[in-house]
Amino acid sequence: MTPIHDQSYRRYAGVRQEPGAAWLVIAATGIRTVLTKKFFWLVLLAAWGQFFVRAVMFYLSANFSNLDLLAPSVETFRQFFEIQEIFVLFVTVYVGSGLIANDRRSNALQIYLSKPLTRAEYVAGKLGTLLFFLLLVTLAPALMLLFLEMMFSASLAFVGANLFLLPAITLYALVEVLLSGFTMLALSSLSTSARYTAMLYAGVVLFTAAVFGIVNGITNSSSLAWLSFRANLDQIGDVIFRLQPRFESPWLLSVVVVALLIGLSVFVLERRVRGVEVVT
Amino acid sequence: MSVPVVAAEGVSKWYGQVIGLNDITVDVQPGVTGLLGPNGAGKSTFLKLITGQLKPSQGTVRVLGEPIWGNPALYHRLGFCPDQDSFYERMTGQQWVTALVRLNGLSETDAVEAARRALDTVGLLDAADKKIGAYSKGMRQRVKLAQAVVHDPDVLVLDEPLAGMDPIARRKVIRLIKGWGREGKSVLVSSHILHEIESMTSTILLINNGRILAEGNIHQIRDLIDEHPHTVRIQADDPRRLAHAFIEHDGVRSLTFEKGAVVVETGKPDAFYGRLTQIAASGELGEVHEVSSPDDNLQAVFEYLVK
Repeated sequence: MTPIHDQSYRRYAGVRQEPGAAWLVIAATGIRTVLTKKFFWLVLLAAWGQFFVRAVMFYLSANFSNLDLLAPSVETFRQFFEIQEIFVLFVTVYVGSGLIANDRRSNALQIYLSKPLTRAEYVAGKLGTLLFFLLLVTLAPALMLLFLEMMFSASLAFVGANLFLLPAITLYALVEVLLSGFTMLALSSLSTSARYTAMLYAGVVLFTAAVFGIVNGITNSSSLAWLSFRANLDQIGDVIFRLQPRFESPWLLSVVVVALLIGLSVFVLERRVRGVEVVT
Repeated sequence: MSVPVVAAEGVSKWYGQVIGLNDITVDVQPGVTGLLGPNGAGKSTFLKLITGQLKPSQGTVRVLGEPIWGNPALYHRLGFCPDQDSFYERMTGQQWVTALVRLNGLSETDAVEAARRALDTVGLLDAADKKIGAYSKGMRQRVKLAQAVVHDPDVLVLDEPLAGMDPIARRKVIRLIKGWGREGKSVLVSSHILHEIESMTSTILLINNGRILAEGNIHQIRDLIDEHPHTVRIQADDPRRLAHAFIEHDGVRSLTFEKGAVVVETGKPDAFYGRLTQIAASGELGEVHEVSSPDDNLQAVFEYLVK
């Protein structure tokens, strides 16, 4: 029988990743895990449905002059994001609710954070997983639509006339996914149950929308739109796409609310993502 | 004397009004060191300070000469096996260890290979592709050990690694820890059972009420332990047949039965554990599932020490 010390370890002679890259491992593992779920592929397919419909519309308008009404405009891209909101909500809940809650339930944080991984890298990895899928249903199809418009029309006229559209699409997508991502991660860090986190997030989105709707109905004024999670994004989106803001509340107030929500989420994550939970 | 593996200087840790560690100054030298103390003594707090998971309220903790707090680069040289279960039950042992070692910067291919070697080291290669949810208590402890050694650390910090293991698994893990010590790794292992620690090392840190009571090679503790009865709870297929075998053992002072288990009070723990391991290995009296020891025995000794 081989002595026990001979069965043991050979020193690792390979190349180690540079410090600071561990978040990629967390993100890649998370992405792979989600992609193994068949149901999620159906969700992705549904989320890309609008892209396919609009792509056909762009094609028809570019090739048939009597179908000009299908031609893209700035509003088309704004509407695209509005319709995608439901998928943003669904993907955020499906992918994000368990990202930290499941680690907390299985005490995995204690082991993760005993590895060469900072808390910031851990959060970045989890955020990376969620942002990947959120951008996949927002930024990616929107940019591809813009690209298809150029391809089908064989012209840069539309893009040239709306040069702000590319940065607008990118900026709005980033604002939307960062707000959704940080809020969901913060809620996920508060619980050990993915299901509870999912309900909490959906509750926040729907409840704040309902409160705003009721106030709006009673006062016949949308000056309190900043109360609603979604209304803030809508308001900021209109400004980014150079459209008339749809609510009476100042759009800068919506920017402040979004920034505060992200800041609050970062604060919660800083307090909750710890290897050892310290109860005082 | 060589550079201490762990150097704690004036370290205190408070949890609000509760004190976890109280002004500890201690050097841990290379080799295997046992951290012995009853539950709530501050063992886990000390180990979490050493592994950089907690920040000292006061004082400094240095590992391998460098401050550990806020220094994740140093974690490459540390392996930590926590006392709690920390698993994704649906993952296989291979998947779990592979995923964790990737955080140490190994490529996917190297991580798979390293995980297999680590699982082989702890004797779990046959069960590598089984889901962790189907593992026994002993296997779960060993897969935690595998993730602690998989990146070949210089310092291993093991929090109650033998807790709840059956005698055979316990013997295997003790041999592993001694083997790692012989290989040149520094191992700091905690337990509330002197017998366990003694079987791995004679270098002991005694901790109680957040203070280090004594350090070094403390043989006197043995005598004190022997003066106090030692209680062992054995969960087995047939506790009554086991009890019958124990009655003949001259060190046994009393036997009581619980659901699926027998609780033995013995005045000769060494001899008793030896006999128990023989019985478990032979399998003639059915399978022994889990052995645990309440810390009341040790508490009595500590109360005596601090008088």
